[in-house]
Parts: sequence; structure tokens; C-alpha cells
Amino acid sequence: MSWITVLWSMLASTSLTFALLHLFLWAKGIKPWANFSFAVAAVAAAVITGMELMAMRTTSIEQMAFILRWSHLPILVLWVAIVCFVRCYFDAGRAWLAWTVVVLRVLALTLSLTTGQNLFFDEITGLKQITVWGDETVSLPLGLLNPWYFVGPLSALVLAAFVVDAAFTMWRGGTDTGRRRAVIFSASITIFLLTAVGHTALVNAGIIDSPYIGGLSFMPILLAMSYELSCDMLHSAQLSQRLQAREAELRISKQRMRLAASAAELRLWEWDIVHDHIWSTDKTLTLYGISEPQKISFGSLLSIIYDEDREQVRLAVEKSMMGNGNFESEYRLKMPDGQIHWFHSRGRIEFSDDNQPLRMLGVSIDITRRKHAELEVQQQRNELTHLSRVTLLGELSGSLAHELNQPLTAILSNAQAVQRFLSRDVVDLAEVRDILNDIVAENRRAGDIIHRLRLLLKRCEIEHLPVDLNKVVRDVLKLLHSDLVNNNIAVSVDLDQQLTAVIGDRVQLQQVLLNLIMNACEAMSYTVAGQRRLFVRTQLTCNNSAQVSVVDQGPGIPTENLENIFEPFFTTKLHGMGLGLPICRTIITAHGGQLWATNKNDRGAVFHLTLPLYSGENA
Amino acid sequence: MNEPAPIVFMVDDDPSVLKALALLLRAMELKVMTFGTPYQFLEQYEPGTHGCLVLDFSMPDLNGLELQKELAARGIELPVIFLTGRGDIPVSVQAMKQGAVDFLTKPVNGQDLAAAIHAAFEKDLMSQQARAEWGEIHQKLATLTPREREVMEHVVAGKLNKQIAADLGTVEKTIKVHRAHLMTKLKARSLADLVRLAERAGIMSKAPGRNDYQT
Repeated sequence: MSWITVLWSMLASTSLTFALLHLFLWAKGIKPWANFSFAVAAVAAAVITGMELMAMRTTSIEQMAFILRWSHLPILVLWVAIVCFVRCYFDAGRAWLAWTVVVLRVLALTLSLTTGQNLFFDEITGLKQITVWGDETVSLPLGLLNPWYFVGPLSALVLAAFVVDAAFTMWRGGTDTGRRRAVIFSASITIFLLTAVGHTALVNAGIIDSPYIGGLSFMPILLAMSYELSCDMLHSAQLSQRLQAREAELRISKQRMRLAASAAELRLWEWDIVHDHIWSTDKTLTLYGISEPQKISFGSLLSIIYDEDREQVRLAVEKSMMGNGNFESEYRLKMPDGQIHWFHSRGRIEFSDDNQPLRMLGVSIDITRRKHAELEVQQQRNELTHLSRVTLLGELSGSLAHELNQPLTAILSNAQAVQRFLSRDVVDLAEVRDILNDIVAENRRAGDIIHRLRLLLKRCEIEHLPVDLNKVVRDVLKLLHSDLVNNNIAVSVDLDQQLTAVIGDRVQLQQVLLNLIMNACEAMSYTVAGQRRLFVRTQLTCNNSAQVSVVDQGPGIPTENLENIFEPFFTTKLHGMGLGLPICRTIITAHGGQLWATNKNDRGAVFHLTLPLYSGENA
Repeated sequence: MNEPAPIVFMVDDDPSVLKALALLLRAMELKVMTFGTPYQFLEQYEPGTHGCLVLDFSMPDLNGLELQKELAARGIELPVIFLTGRGDIPVSVQAMKQGAVDFLTKPVNGQDLAAAIHAAFEKDLMSQQARAEWGEIHQKLATLTPREREVMEHVVAGKLNKQIAADLGTVEKTIKVHRAHLMTKLKARSLADLVRLAERAGIMSKAPGRNDYQT
């Protein structure tokens, strides 16, 4: 067999192999359009190679003319495939150049079918047998060239221009890889395209005697195209390898993070606000029956939050969405076993460019233990406060007994009077009714006193409700009425009627005032009877808080003790425990206020306390 | 003797207590006058009116003990019954020392209060009789001449006529005459009678010879 047949067959089959390979890739969906264009180009190249071989082996003029006529069909396909490849793969090249290539090539095919014997020859006059490279003999056509011949090379030039232009586009906008591709690809196409077209023209014109080398020339183009596609494959293989390594790293770092988080009892979470699902490292979430992480929505999370805290958490989230994106909240979660756990969460919202919340990242920490300790301390403080209140009332017991005995006396006397009236022959029912009304009124009065006392003696949960300080002052003065009377203390009050409510625990605030006023009374025990004056004033301060001042006419407080008196167990009294004022200060501080003492210029001490006003939103 | 009925003067700063107690006492056929403050009472009380004072211990401005002192200062000898809601022992002791008739704790039983009031009336009556007697004695004493009075003081002091004569720079016989006169004027039948009378009139302590005993 001749080596030309062998070589050309090999070229054709190589092209077909390429075509098959890339068809396979196309079928796999990897860069489908580029691979498909390439496969088509390879098939076309194989057909062209085959046709060349047939032309070189033919001995009849008709057959030669026929082959040359129809060779423009695979060339058209090849050109179109190259154009498509460039457009799909490089995403470059001017559309009008592409269309020009296609139109010229279609024109070339049309002209090949309609003018002369084909686009190359007007008429083939004979076949020339030439011997090449040893003893191989091939046929070459001889004859008049078709005047439309130029359309073929013109289309090749336009195609080359299209490719070079695309290469320039890639060079300008590209990375190093892009530039390398642009150079290799455009250079190989331009050089080998022009070589093939030029060589064919020279052979056809009879200037050189050589077999057609179109198929041979297209091989480097195919190789260049294939190289590009393979580079991509290689690159993606490398990428996937790197990705795997990264994933392994990520897995390890995630494990580390989990370990660190669980060691620190931190729970990390992320809430995709757009799709509303929450991811969390929190294993306890699975305990609520929300086992699959993608099933946790904000709503389902809210549903396991303790009833009393739910609204507060919802508001905190809303506020962070409206505001600067920072979220912080303390809340309780109900465990399925009935236990309640406290959590502290902090998070931050990421917003999109148009300020829509996208997701929130955050951490939660189980603060149950700390909270229990806090509650215990709070409870102990409450006990102490309560105890001091009871002690305070113990000191007052005499006065309180008097206060209570007044209505009881009235009731007893009225009742005994009625007994006497009823034993008379004529009973004045109207009078009896009047007396009974009095009895009822006095009973109510006694009940009120007991109620007030019971409130003070009760060990109750601390409330945070709006409290009218003026009323607290009046109530305490009522309670202390007989004590003040007994000690010959004249009371004057100046209550600011503009004063709005403060937030706090009424009983505790009463306790503080009770303590301060009783201290004031005691301070005046050595003051001459006529000068024992107690002055209580409420007022609005300039920094928007309520102030109560208790002023006495006693000896005052030595300057060095003005602060010491608030220290526990510091006392100047004979039987004092030294806990009254410290507890008062604890109470006021817990209310967000201040308690301090000053001396008046002339004589006596003043105790001031300030409390923040109720603004209407923190209840 | 047709004396006007004794009056219960009642002072309490608590109007409802005042009203109820007054009602009860009136139901017990007692005459009651009520006052909201001690000052009101001091203003309106006519000295010498027979009765007693029922006083709430804890009152503004002037407390029970102070009012009691004020009464003594004004020479009002009205018996006082204290009512208190607190029953402090030290205070009640003080009150009793100052001459209170009774110290009752509120709420007070009508019977107990009535009993205390009647006891107080009794005491007032007695002291009124004592006052009457005292007036009588002083009337008699007023009839004595200064010399006779002088002699009487010496006699009551337990001195002999001879000593008295020496003290006053006269003779024993003159003293005897003065002594007979004053015994007649004072209607004293014996020395013991005279001494008791002087005692009631409070003359004993004023005896000018007192220094002699001490030295």
C-alpha cells in the first residue's frame, strides 16, 4: 500500500477519533457547544482529508471535477464549526465578521455548484500525474481557473481576520492563561488556514506540483483546538483535586471549630433569612424533635422558646433587622424533659446592597448555671430585703398597733352602743343604721391598714411596674402617722404633681422611704420638741429622673461618714444592725437610680434618691 | 346637795374614735363633751367643773403626758384617764406617777371605761370635798390675828409655851392667852385636832422653827 494512502487515512481517522472523543464530552454535557463545534470541525476535516485522497487517486476528469465541486461543502461546515467554536468557547469575535465568513462560504459552495465545473476550475482539461517523494504517483487537475476562485481565499482571509480579532479581544481582557490561548489558537489557525488555502491555490494554478495538503494543514488547527479543550479538562481535574483537599481541610477546621465551640459551650448558628432555615452546631436542637438541620425555621425555633420570652426575642430580631443588624437577647428554651435552659445569643445580620437582610450569623451560650447563681443571689437579696423590712416594721409595731387600734376602738364602742340601744324599749332604727354604717367604714379602715402591712410583710416576687412616687410617699407617711405624732415631729411635704411614674417595685420603694423617714425621726430624738420638722419633697430633675429628698432637723452626719453609712454593718445606733441603708442603696441601684446623703448648711441631713422615669416602653 | 352631773371630757385627734366613744358613753347615760385637740379642751374647760378627762395618749402637738403637766400647772385637778393604742409600760408608769386615775388600752371595753370613769368621778368628788374642807380651814385661819397665827405655827411645831414666849420675846402668860383664842377660833378641841387642821392647811412645812430641828 502506498504511504500517501496510509498517511491520509491516518489523518482522517485521527480527525474522526478527535470527533468521537469530543462528541462523548458533548454528550456528557461538558462545555457542550464548544465540544460539539469541535467534533463537527473534526468530522469535516476528516471528510476533507478523505476527499483529497480520493482526488489524488482518481484517473478520471469527471471524478476529479466532482470531488473538487463537493469539497466546498465540508469546507463550509469546517469554517462554520470554527466560527462557532470561537464564539462559544472564547466568547469573542465580531458577529458581523462571523456572518461574513458564513455568507462567503455559502456563496463559495453555491458558485462551486453553479459556475464552471467547480469553484476552482472553469474547466478541467486534463489530469497530470506527478511523482512525489520517491515512487508515489498522484493525480492533479489541469485546466482553466474559475474567475470566482477568489471567493474561497477571501473567505479564508475573513475567517483569519475573525480569529485574530477574537484573539485581540481575549488579549485585552484576559489573564495570562487567556493571552496564551489567544496567541496559540489564533496563530495556529491563521498560519495553517492560510497555508492550506495558499498551497491549494498554488497547486490549482499549476505553479507547484504537490499533493493537496489541506487535511494535513487542518491537523495542527484541530490539535490546537483539542489542546485548548484538554487544558480545560486538565485544569478542572486539578481544581477538583484542590477542592477535595480544601474540603478535607474545611472538614477538619469545622471539626476543630465544633470541638472548640462545644468546649466553650458555644453554639454557632447561621440563619438564612431569605430561605428561612437555620443551621446550628447546637446538638440540643435535635432534642426538640427538630432532627434535620434544614427543617429548622425561625418560626419553629420561636415555638420552643419559653412563652414569656418569645415576644422579647421576636422584637430583638425585628429591631436588629431595622437597625444596625446587631442582635442580642437572653431567653429560655423548653427542653423536652421539662427543664428550662437559659441562653444568651448574639448575632449580626448581613444585608444585601439594597439593604435587605440576607442572613444572620451568631453564637449562643448556655447561661443556665450563671442564671441560677444569679437568681440565687437575687433570692438571697430578696430575703435580706424582706428581713430588713420585717425588722423595720417590728420597730414600728407600737405605732402600727395604735394605728390599727383606732378603728378597732371605734368599732367596739359603736357595737356596744348599739347593744345598749337595742336593749331599750324604743329603738331608734335610724340611729342604729347610722352606727352600723360607721362600723362598716371603720372596719374598712382597719382592713386597709392590714392590707398595707401585709403587702410590706409579704415575701413576694419583685415587680417592675409603673409606680407613682408621690403615692408611695403618702402611703409611707400614713403608715408612720402615729410614730411621727408620738415623736412630736411636724411633717411637711412638697410633692411635684407633674411627676410621672417610675418603674419599680412599689413595696421595695416603700421600704426605702420607710427606712429613710424612720432614720430621720430617730436623728431628731435629741432635737428640741418644737423644732422636730421632717420635710419630704418629690421633684423632677433636669436629667429627666424623679428625685425624692428626705430632710431632717437632726445633728447631721459627720462628713467623713457621708459615704460610710451605706456600708454594711456600719452603724451609729445603739441597737442598729447597720443594714438598713445598705439595703436601701441596693434597692435603689437595682432600680437604676442613686441614693446619697448630704448635710444641710444650718443643721440636719438630707437623703436624696433618684429614679429613672417610666418612658412607656420598658414595661 | 343638788350638784350638777359630772361631765366626761374626752380628747382624741381621731374623729371617728371620738364620735364612737362619745356615743357609747352617752348610751350609758353619761354626759360627754368631746375635743379634737388638747388646746381646744384647755380653751373651753371651766375650772372647777366636776367630771373627768379621758385622754388619748398619742396626739399631735401636745401628747398626753404634756397635757397632764399643763393641767397641773394651771391648777386643774381633773382626774385623767389615759387611753392608748400601744400600751407602753414606761409611759403608763410615768402617767400614773403624774396622777392618772387609769391607763386603758384601746380597743377599750365600754364596761371597763365606764368603771374607770366612775372611779374618776368618785376621786373628783373626793378631791372636791377635800377642796371644800381646805377652803373652810382657810376661812377659819383667816380670822386669826398675825400674832395668833405665829403662835399657832409654833404650837403645831411641838414647842412648849415657855419656848414660844422666848422665841417671840414675850411672856408665857401672853402666849397662853393667844393659844386659848386661836383654839376657840379654829374650833379645835385638842392639840391633836389643831395639828391635823394645820396639816390639812399645809402649814406644817412652813413652820419657822424648822431650822432648829435640823441644827
